[in-house]
Amino acid sequence: MRALILPCLFACLSLGLPANAAQASEFQNVLVTDVSKDQISIRSNYSGETLLLFGAIDTQPYGEADGVVVVLRGPAQDITLRKKNKQFGIWVNGPAYRLGDLPSFYAVASSRPVAELLPSARRAELGIGADVLKANNLDANADAEREAIEAFLRLKQQANLFAAQSDAVEIIHGKLFRAEINLPAGMPVGAYTTEFFAFKDGTLIGYQIGELPVDIVGAGHILHEAAYNMSLLYGIFGVALAVFMGWAVAIIFRRS
Amino acid sequence: MTLIGMGGLVGFMSGMFGVGGGFLMTPLLIFIGVPPAVAVASEANQIVASSVSGGLAYWQRRAIDIPMGLILMTGGLAGSYSGVQLFKVLRAMGQVDLLISLSYVVFLGVIGALMLRESIQVIIAARRGRPVQARRPGQHSWILRLPFRMRFRRSKLYISVIPPLIIGYFVGTLSAIMGVGGGFIMVPAMIYILRMPTNVVIGTSLFQIIFVTASVTIFHAVENQTVDIVLAALLMIGGVIGAQIGARVGQRLRGEQLRALLALIVLGVGVKLLLDLVNQPDELFSLTRMGVGG
Repeated sequence: MRALILPCLFACLSLGLPANAAQASEFQNVLVTDVSKDQISIRSNYSGETLLLFGAIDTQPYGEADGVVVVLRGPAQDITLRKKNKQFGIWVNGPAYRLGDLPSFYAVASSRPVAELLPSARRAELGIGADVLKANNLDANADAEREAIEAFLRLKQQANLFAAQSDAVEIIHGKLFRAEINLPAGMPVGAYTTEFFAFKDGTLIGYQIGELPVDIVGAGHILHEAAYNMSLLYGIFGVALAVFMGWAVAIIFRRS
Repeated sequence: MTLIGMGGLVGFMSGMFGVGGGFLMTPLLIFIGVPPAVAVASEANQIVASSVSGGLAYWQRRAIDIPMGLILMTGGLAGSYSGVQLFKVLRAMGQVDLLISLSYVVFLGVIGALMLRESIQVIIAARRGRPVQARRPGQHSWILRLPFRMRFRRSKLYISVIPPLIIGYFVGTLSAIMGVGGGFIMVPAMIYILRMPTNVVIGTSLFQIIFVTASVTIFHAVENQTVDIVLAALLMIGGVIGAQIGARVGQRLRGEQLRALLALIVLGVGVKLLLDLVNQPDELFSLTRMGVGG
């Protein structure tokens, strides 16, 4: 579990956190964090679960924290978003938008609404809040593209893949915290990251980042792998299964 | 559980009415929210199972014209390949769902209307106590006299291989796009165009459907990764059990009423698909992962 707590130097640099290595490690030393599971295993009957993320805040350097934010982020995906329009009396897919490099899953748990904790410019720097995620090739100022980004967020929320819960982190005496994030049944697989932020008066005082692998396991894993990596064999297997079942049924019902 | 139940229901209907279930099952899967591309490919996989169990009975009765089946199959394999390629291209353009829906609206509408008309005519005629005259097909004999003629012993025919190749190709394409066996096109085409005797028609149709839907399954698995074996297996379980029960119930019911009922179901499914295209959807936007999803 300790392996989850990785050096954050690289991540800090990319997030606009303090570039100074000494300061970065100071941020890390403030937070000791852990997750209730070190990996998520999706079996064929997986129906979702609640993940517990918790930690302690060292109050020595900066005092007690008054805000904690936990972000769980799924692997990035390139997405095509299509809008239907009416042609010849029927609704068909029309304009397509390519949304590059957006997280497949994004959940924010915080002790207070994130908009109250930080101004949106600062949230954009830290990557806190789905509303500040940027599709790298869309212009948010154009009406049509803004509509597309809003549709993306709406669809992701409807699928329970994007979520923000502003009362899901409990801070105990400014020193301990625990957060709960609900994982839905249909979550995408891959390498997830967990990020922990502690704030005092709107200033970042602690930061940690870790990894959380999400994988399909069991028979589902074999089929999933085969479908994409050995697709010819997978197709032949499907046909063989069908031939066998068709034959078996014909035999069984002839007897009876 | 729902899927086994649906497989059972459609299997029951296909056993009762004596038709393949693909053209009802695929729309039903789409209605419950299975992505159309996955519904088509997985249903093709299921049809392999149902045509094997159906075909075996005809094999034992020697009611299959194998040379004819092989020629239809050759056309069918080529057709299924081009159908899957078309499917792949339209999928990249985001239009494959439209292609599937439109194909269904057209075919279900036309076939449902024809079946309804015929069965109503028969019912009315039967009420009036007049014998029904079987409609004689038009003359297509010049087609059968094209070059490359071959002798088909079991069908007692000496005809060109070009028409069965073309019919096979056409039905193979439909099979790939719609996730159907295509018996509902193949059987009338064999009777009215090829003039095959009715006793070998269904067996020969099932024989070639096994190979064509098998190739559709494999092509879709390779090109589009849209075959869901778990889904197909659940449908197979429900489908085969339902078909056996349906066949027994079907024997006790009157044929023409049964056909009128089936025609209404077919039309109903077609109208529902059409309404889904015409009415404004609640959500205009949809997400697709590049290269994956459907």
